[in-house]
Amino acid sequence: MEPKRQVIRFENAGKCFSTPARPEVWAVRDFNLTCLEGELTCVLGPSGCGKTTLLRLAAGLEMPTMGKVCVNGSAVTNPPENIGVVSQEGDLLPWRRVLGNVALGLEIRGLDRQERTERAKKAINRVGLPSEVVQSFPHELSGGMRRRVALARAVCTNPRILLMDEPFSSLDELTRHRLQAELLQLWLSDRQTVLFVTHSLEEAVFLADRILVMTFGRTVAEFRLDLDRPRDRLGDEFIKVLLEVRRALTEHENAAADVS
Amino acid sequence: MKSNRLIRKILLGAIVPVVILLVWHFASIGSVVVPSISSVVEVLAHPFSEPEGLDSTPLAFGAAVSILRVLCGFILAALSGVLIGLFIGRCKLAMETLSPVMSAAMAVSPIAWIPVTIIVFGLSSPATAIYGDRAWEHGLLDQLRFAIVAVIWMGAFFPIALNTAAGAAGVRAGHLETAKVLGATRRQILTKIVLPSAAPAILTGLRIGAGIAWRVIIAAEIFPGTRGGLGYMIATAHETASYEYAFAGIIVIAAIGLSLDGLLRMALVRVSRWQPRER
Ligand SMILES: Nc1ncnc2c1ncn2[C@@H]1O[C@H](COP(=O)(O)OP(=O)(O)OP(=O)(O)O)[C@@H](O)[C@H]1O
Ligand SMILES: [Mg+2]
Repeated sequence: MEPKRQVIRFENAGKCFSTPARPEVWAVRDFNLTCLEGELTCVLGPSGCGKTTLLRLAAGLEMPTMGKVCVNGSAVTNPPENIGVVSQEGDLLPWRRVLGNVALGLEIRGLDRQERTERAKKAINRVGLPSEVVQSFPHELSGGMRRRVALARAVCTNPRILLMDEPFSSLDELTRHRLQAELLQLWLSDRQTVLFVTHSLEEAVFLADRILVMTFGRTVAEFRLDLDRPRDRLGDEFIKVLLEVRRALTEHENAAADVS
Repeated sequence: MKSNRLIRKILLGAIVPVVILLVWHFASIGSVVVPSISSVVEVLAHPFSEPEGLDSTPLAFGAAVSILRVLCGFILAALSGVLIGLFIGRCKLAMETLSPVMSAAMAVSPIAWIPVTIIVFGLSSPATAIYGDRAWEHGLLDQLRFAIVAVIWMGAFFPIALNTAAGAAGVRAGHLETAKVLGATRRQILTKIVLPSAAPAILTGLRIGAGIAWRVIIAAEIFPGTRGGLGYMIATAHETASYEYAFAGIIVIAAIGLSLDGLLRMALVRVSRWQPRER
């Protein structure tokens, strides 16, 4: 088998913010990561460790203050072509109905209305949304439905890269599990390169090929998971990995807390 | 249940007008200044007849002139105000340099500019521009004095531009980024994100601008040195003590202002449909 292509690459990348209140905040630093084509990588870390910043660097919404971020072999200066992004807030356009939101990417690409509608409806279907919501406004939907719409919008243009920022947080456990399963299904059929950021240990272990544990802007541990999918959340192996990752996470959290 | 509420609404809404009519009726008995209700109704009922003993045009013509002036000034203000407002709202430097001046300009009543605009534009109008000396033959076009249109523009431009700027500046970063990561061009970001997001603010600006324009036109027409329109009719009616014309003019002004605002409010409701309403 020929080696897989490197799709996303962080080389010693770092991002420093400065505000009047806090002149120097390194949200991400000395970060190294290579996502191979078709890989599902999870970055796991507590709130404030720099996960969102990391994704924004890959999406071309933030420029690194040190090191380099490459997507498809070239340094990121603008949002790379053909990516799908699900942001932490979802960021649906409140003045557009569900259909218009999902079709936004196709509209920007200049597809005609009929094709847009067709493909948007397919995407809406794929993320498990009932078709009667296509004419609803975002504020008329539940939180879980809105998350699904954001996911549908991201996959509607058939991107080869998906950047997902805690897309399922603040949902009840059952809905979260269902959405995770749906994402897996999408990914198993399309095999996009996915960079998935989360603070949920269980979510990371359920989804990932690889888990990077991040605290205070740095990677502190890396795990490769080769459990069969779909994974049994109550299985011995699953729990073993979970505990292992958890140990790494708490160890470094405490170590860092001791220093500061 | 529903019809009950409707009756209630109509009754409540009718109280004040009925009281006003009653007060008006009794005030008009034996008064020189307050015209009788019937004489005002008489004027309103014959909007096309030449007013007697009054150097003015028929009521309908006066209303048409005022509306035309306001529409011209308002449309110019809307176009320039939205364009400049968008620019100011999306460009921090422009916002910082221009918005204080514009807020100050908005505090000045547009009426204060009338002497200036009369000096600048004189008696010129589209008719003088096109037909020169024979302008007076083209009544309506000749009434569309640039001096007056400019004052209307002054009144409506600033609220429209400032509201548009606030709306355009308030577009959520997340919405802009959504379009950016999907590969939107600057133009697409403007049409698909900035404009729809700012639409309620823009329409609020248009509504305020239209309200000001309509108030200003009447005052501008009352101002000495201008001719034509409802304001001029009211002013001349006072001079010749034909108060029934003044009263009829006020009623027409209120009716037109109400319709103008109603139209824009409907448009505002339409573009704000997506905003969850708290009532
Ligand atoms: N635009 C910004 N300006 C200044 N500081 C910022 C900015 N964005 C992020 N930061 C800081 O960088 C650090 C990391 O923030 P980031 O949003 O990446 O964390 P996160 O891991 O996504 O957190 P959460 O799980 O709560 O979403 C925080 O200390 C934050 O205050
Ligand atoms: Mg975050």
